[in-house]
Amino acid sequence: MPGSLRRPPANRVLVSQFTHHHVAVFLLTFFSYSLLHASRKTFSNVKVSISSQWTPSDLNDTALKLQPYELWNSSHLFPNTGEATLFLGTLDTIFLFSYAVGLFVSGIVGDRLNMRLVLSFGMCSSALVVFVFGTVSEWLHFYHKWFYCCLWIVNGLLQSTGWPCVVAVMGKWFGKAGRGFVFGLWSACASVGNILGAFLASSVLQYGYEYAFLVTASVQFAGGVIVFFGLVTSPKEVGLPEAGEEGDGVGAAEEDVSEPLMGGSDNYDEDDQNYTVQTADPSSIPQPKAIGFFQACCLPGVMLYSLAYACLKLVNYSFFFWLPFYLSSNFGWKEAEADRLSIWYDVGGIVGGTIQGLISDMLQKRAPVLAISLILAVGSLFGYSRSPNNKVINAVIMAVTGKRSTSPSSMLSAAEQCMVGRENSMKKEEKVSFVCSASLDGLSTLECVVFLFQYLVSLIQEKLGWMWVFYFFILMTSSTVLFITPLIVREISALLRERPALRLAG
Amino acid sequence: MAASSWLLLCLLRGAIAAASGSDDPSPPQICSGCCAGSVRNSSAVAAFCGAREGAEVLGRCCLEREAVVGLDLGNCSLHQLCPSFQEASTASVIDLTNNPLDHLPEDVFRGFTQLQTLALPAELDCPGGNNIWDNVTTQGSSRICHSQRNPCNGSGGYGWLCPEDSICAPDGPGLHLCLCEGPYHGYKCLRQGTFPYPMFYGTLGAVTTSLSILLWVTQRRKVKTS
Repeated sequence: MPGSLRRPPANRVLVSQFTHHHVAVFLLTFFSYSLLHASRKTFSNVKVSISSQWTPSDLNDTALKLQPYELWNSSHLFPNTGEATLFLGTLDTIFLFSYAVGLFVSGIVGDRLNMRLVLSFGMCSSALVVFVFGTVSEWLHFYHKWFYCCLWIVNGLLQSTGWPCVVAVMGKWFGKAGRGFVFGLWSACASVGNILGAFLASSVLQYGYEYAFLVTASVQFAGGVIVFFGLVTSPKEVGLPEAGEEGDGVGAAEEDVSEPLMGGSDNYDEDDQNYTVQTADPSSIPQPKAIGFFQACCLPGVMLYSLAYACLKLVNYSFFFWLPFYLSSNFGWKEAEADRLSIWYDVGGIVGGTIQGLISDMLQKRAPVLAISLILAVGSLFGYSRSPNNKVINAVIMAVTGKRSTSPSSMLSAAEQCMVGRENSMKKEEKVSFVCSASLDGLSTLECVVFLFQYLVSLIQEKLGWMWVFYFFILMTSSTVLFITPLIVREISALLRERPALRLAG
Repeated sequence: MAASSWLLLCLLRGAIAAASGSDDPSPPQICSGCCAGSVRNSSAVAAFCGAREGAEVLGRCCLEREAVVGLDLGNCSLHQLCPSFQEASTASVIDLTNNPLDHLPEDVFRGFTQLQTLALPAELDCPGGNNIWDNVTTQGSSRICHSQRNPCNGSGGYGWLCPEDSICAPDGPGLHLCLCEGPYHGYKCLRQGTFPYPMFYGTLGAVTTSLSILLWVTQRRKVKTS
């Protein structure tokens, strides 16, 4: 643990060096990613309305068809809500797939082109695609399955330009040393985006679902324009020195940015590495030897962590995509109300993440905190599945569930990097991050499996009901606990061993 | 958009109905095209038309201001109703007696909201069932259904059938429509109000412009384009 012991002074020094450029870059990247996330969230906020728009009124009694026909039964994209729900699950899966593919591509593209232009282009063009998907198709009454699928693939690809760009820009301005503090704050952007998306969608949903898309797409487009005029991608552009390496790679990796709910941390690390190689003294850094995916899998801890992460991620994704839909269809609440209520899940996530970060910083260990909060997550999931038809009670349990299940996920992703890295680093800091990014590559492959499960959620819901979806979540969270048990045991024993050494050092 | 097209459809329908009702000089098809001859003196339609101020007999119809208010298709050897039967949806009295009609489709009287007296061959039941009529009598070979009830009232028991945000409207004997209520409109009455375009885009445009200018001046002005 040499890094974490050396680190503290760096933060304070950097905070005093922050200029108004730093503030502007922080806010711009924060809100760019928030807006991208908000428009992603919109789709999950309008699921009930959109599936209602795609189906005829299903009254079981065929003798008493609702009249007039044009008003109640003229839409026939799907014969009933169940099939529409399955299609919505498919769209989620398609989006995630193309998003994952896009992350690989845009990481490379973002390095070669001006990141300001890439980010601005990504935001504006994906806003246009969302606008066509949700608003134009409704205005023209053009409902077509393949049309929707194609647009959502394009949207996934365009949206994926956001994350690598904002993270690379943040890296250029804030470097590694200031990361613990700044990135901790910054990582709330995804949750803020969810809240923003839910808020925007629910406030215009009464005019029709197409306006929810219209509003988020317009705001995102405006964000893209502002980024175009306002973002300074590198301190060099305004004559400031670029944030340098402070030489504590391990410590920085430990305090690494919590990955947002739907971000891909793999590219983050790739970008970092390029950046590291560029700025640090070239003679001291040996080119790391590439290791393959399967080799990475064989490293101790990688598989277990990846599995644990994948299981938890699945639950988080499912909440992201289906929470408003569940609230609306299970309790019969109006969709706008369900959207507003679902905000509490993200609020819980932010609060929980902060508290948990504080506790684990104090303890200097993540795994025990992680284990306790995961066990609590299982309990709160169970409690949430039994939530009565009461908005206040539901919101409270939802916030607790969000607190318990979102925060371990971000922690796990951050913890994984240092754990896996430390296991294999053999003192070479560069290699740490490299092994990490290799393992995260494997992770994103695993994420693809998680995407498939999105479809499974809609299938379980359709065939067995919501209760079984919750049992499935509980099973997943429990297996997360199971997978990280060996690592927890190891970390606790290390903690016990290191205690005397720490006291000596202090 | 959905709302406007739906409205357009309604207007169009109204316009067509109005055109065929008032502007069109030729009498409705149903009066002569379906069955030759004139309103029979023995029919209830004749009595109804005679008693009504401003009504006149034309072919098989009793017309009042170009609208069909009575229709006598009695003794026309009809096995089924003519396609132009819908033209008589404004009728108060319809006589279909002495026809070998075997079956009336359920929807045939859709839109016949004015219908007060319907004479049928005795073999046929009153449309919508006997409960939907105040008074059903059988006279020889004819059955007379008198005074249709409002299917949306509690007595008919159909009022609850309309989904949320829509209300029941009568649409002929035993038939009802579900129409959007109050501020609701659009497909399945899911929408409410109109989107405030000027306010939204005005605010967004202003914020975007001012933020862009502010950031350009403070952040990017001094950037050297390399």
